[in-house]
Amino acid sequence: MSASLEIQMIAIVVAAACALPGVFLVLRSMAMMADAISHTVLLGIVLAFFLVQDLQSPWLLIGAAVVGVVTVSLVELLNRTRLVKQDAAIGLVFPALFSLAVILISRFARGVHLDVDAVLLGELAFAPFDRVTLFGLDLPHALVTMSVILALTVAFITLFYKELKLSTFDAGLAASLGFAPAVLHYGLMTLVSVTAVGAFDAVGVVLVVALMITPAAAAYLLTNNLRTMLFLSVGIAIASAIGGYWLARLLNANIAGAMATVTGFIFLGVFLLAPQRGMLAIAQRRRRQRMEFAQSMLAIHLLNHEGSPEALEESRVDHLHDHIRWQPKFAGQVVGYATRKGIVQPQGGALRLTDQGRRLAQEAMLQ
Amino acid sequence: MNAAIAVTDLTVAYHDKPVLWDVDLSVPPGVLMAIVGPNGAGKTTLIKAILGLTPAAAGQVLIDGKPYAAQRQRVGYVPQRGSVDWDFPTNVLDVVMMGRYGALGWFRRPGRRERNLAMDALAKVGMQEFAQRQISQLSGGQQQRVFLARAIVQDADVYFMDEPFQGVDAITERAIVGLLKDLRGAGKTVLVVHHDLQTVPEYFDWVTLLNVRRIASGPVSAVFTEENLRLTYGGRIAFVTVAANPATVQAGTALPAITSATA
Amino acid sequence: MDVGQILHALLFDYTLRTVALGTAILGLVSGTLGAFALLRRQSLMGDAISHAALPGVVLAFMLTGLKGPLVLMTGAALAGIAGVLLVIAITTHTRLKQDTALGIILSVFFGFGLMLLTFLQQNPDARQAGLNHFLFGQAATLLAGDVAVMALFGSAALALTLLCWKEFKLLSFDRDFGASLGFPMRRLEVLITVLLVVAIVIGLQAVGVVLMSAMIVAPAAAARQWTDRLGVMVALSASFGALAGVAGTAISSLASGLSTGPVIVLCISAIAVFSLILAPNRGLLWAWLRQRQHRQTFATVNHP
Repeated sequence: MSASLEIQMIAIVVAAACALPGVFLVLRSMAMMADAISHTVLLGIVLAFFLVQDLQSPWLLIGAAVVGVVTVSLVELLNRTRLVKQDAAIGLVFPALFSLAVILISRFARGVHLDVDAVLLGELAFAPFDRVTLFGLDLPHALVTMSVILALTVAFITLFYKELKLSTFDAGLAASLGFAPAVLHYGLMTLVSVTAVGAFDAVGVVLVVALMITPAAAAYLLTNNLRTMLFLSVGIAIASAIGGYWLARLLNANIAGAMATVTGFIFLGVFLLAPQRGMLAIAQRRRRQRMEFAQSMLAIHLLNHEGSPEALEESRVDHLHDHIRWQPKFAGQVVGYATRKGIVQPQGGALRLTDQGRRLAQEAMLQ
Repeated sequence: MNAAIAVTDLTVAYHDKPVLWDVDLSVPPGVLMAIVGPNGAGKTTLIKAILGLTPAAAGQVLIDGKPYAAQRQRVGYVPQRGSVDWDFPTNVLDVVMMGRYGALGWFRRPGRRERNLAMDALAKVGMQEFAQRQISQLSGGQQQRVFLARAIVQDADVYFMDEPFQGVDAITERAIVGLLKDLRGAGKTVLVVHHDLQTVPEYFDWVTLLNVRRIASGPVSAVFTEENLRLTYGGRIAFVTVAANPATVQAGTALPAITSATA
Repeated sequence: MDVGQILHALLFDYTLRTVALGTAILGLVSGTLGAFALLRRQSLMGDAISHAALPGVVLAFMLTGLKGPLVLMTGAALAGIAGVLLVIAITTHTRLKQDTALGIILSVFFGFGLMLLTFLQQNPDARQAGLNHFLFGQAATLLAGDVAVMALFGSAALALTLLCWKEFKLLSFDRDFGASLGFPMRRLEVLITVLLVVAIVIGLQAVGVVLMSAMIVAPAAAARQWTDRLGVMVALSASFGALAGVAGTAISSLASGLSTGPVIVLCISAIAVFSLILAPNRGLLWAWLRQRQHRQTFATVNHP
């Protein structure tokens, strides 16, 4: 396999492994916690490295998982003291742990592959150079690691799908049914930590967050169905990975950064163009609804004042924008539309409600 | 004479779903009025829309004949207690002095005059010993009194209060009612979003029944009827027989709704 | 080196003095604006703004070819503001919550910045090498000119905060009430956010993009434990920030190759932990002691 192909395969596996837990992170509003964890796992890696002196050791993953859980626990602890709110707790814990890690690296781990810059950027381009032999096959180390993590992730989500779904949408109900939401919570966070560590070597801290959060967020704007959201997230993440790779090749730039950028572009596209929830769809719907709504408002307004002394005054076309907060131009459009639809009848400068209009008003009021 | 508050055609929609439809309201000066209605009826929205805190799709608000925007100095507001983080680092006196910020205008700091006015207001609500107390250490009733003091110090002519009796103890409730009646006695107009139907006839002289639309509005004796309550609350109201207490029933008063048992 | 020698160096070593001054200004300004951010629950917005600033810095250099502090800070500020606007747009117009929006902007902008940075580095021109330092900060490279710009914008931000003190207090405590008084709360919100961006942008050179958010959160969180008065809290927050800045600079100058950013962050985190545990009244130690005392009293009451 060519290096290019191998890199793309690694990228795909990383993307999928990140996008899956990302769905739950977005739904549970844990995005910034994931950001925190993806920074603090570095400390776990460093400490584990000091113990085993081997960058390939699985202990690094374990160290990272432990620190991930520690991070969540510390934030929870701080939050429970009520001395700081949760957002501040996150903002206190992770920079401290991350700084500690950075200092330990630059003081004691110089010259080892744990380069501080690499932490942030990661360099996928170098991934194929780091190889391992598995079942007689010569594979990049990153591919093996991430594939295992992906398998673990799929297993976790499949096994606990019901519980995850319930505890995400109704934690109280889940608890009362005996599923321990706290256990699931920590399980999810451990998964995030392990994924972050596996991915950091290849893509760095930044991209982990981008791949976890952004595709899931875009998917959430496209569907209400959890299963669909999971598939969409993975699909978008993979598309970002491939797209990012080629963009980076084009520009001769960092692959991880390019991938993050592409997730952003895709999100932007969805944000603007998603059916129903995209900005364009919303604007169109608003315009349509506004006119319909205005019809009802006009009908009700006329009905309310019908038969009263101010009726004539209130139904004058040119005074409509005094009583109802419409711009004169819009008021004209509403009246025109209403006249065409048979809701009102102009009567010498004022408006008279037709029977159809009266029915419309009464229906609107029943809602 | 102008109505203290004149609202016409007020309509508020959220994502194009109506929360308030074409609401008209005319409140004469010197009146203590309750606004009641079921949850989601738009009571808080009504106040917020009048004060310009929520955009309205349609409608006009006049305070004493002039547009609200020109009359801000004459309007006092007591928001819901829960709308604020009581862990904020500030003390009781400081909160009350915030009521003078409008009069101070931009950039000017509150000084001795504001301090004295604030202490006076605190005295009126019986909280002057708490002036230096951190607000997180207050009970619900005390918090409500502080909010009231803040409104009093504004020295407004028209007051809007959002559920001032929510979650306060009985003593505080009585104290607040006393305060409201004093304000009315001084000629102020007070509009209160109220959640407890039982106490409407006792505390208020006017009432507005609201459920997205204005169902009825006027003096309690005329408007607070079983018929209107049914219209307002749909099926969600139960009338219970209560043995008439001679102390509270006066001859000729139409004590509404509390006369028959219905599901 | 002992403390005496360090202090001597801080005062009389021109370079160290300049750097210490710069980080002190950084600490003062971020501590001040950070206090309001904390109270308004916008702590993590600071994180998003710092990360979002990176592409701004790189683009500023790419478009102008200049590496002066003014140019780079302007780029950072514009990018930071763009980031905030996008976060607001996402939370307003979609069902995504603020944490998700922050996560998106943070990672996408930062990734974009990294992509641009590495794209630039193909350029044999060595001038842009300094941009690297925007990741973790290198206060040691602060020049008098840099510090002057920091002082200029920093003091403007502080002056505006002081000027609009009661307006900001109103905004943070009871926004609706402020609006009912006639103050334009949305514009005030824009102003305070812009000042926050300025505070962050000032500190990027010294602390770096990744860790600047700590300088917004930690001094304020620490200060909150010591007092219940807003004015004192803000003053303390500013002081803690400045202290951590100077201490961090001094310490990282002792060892070679240490970025200042992480050291400053450790200093301010230490101050925060110290405050959380030892501050009278709110501190955890005192709470624990109080509990023990209550339990003893309770025990003696029940078992005389």
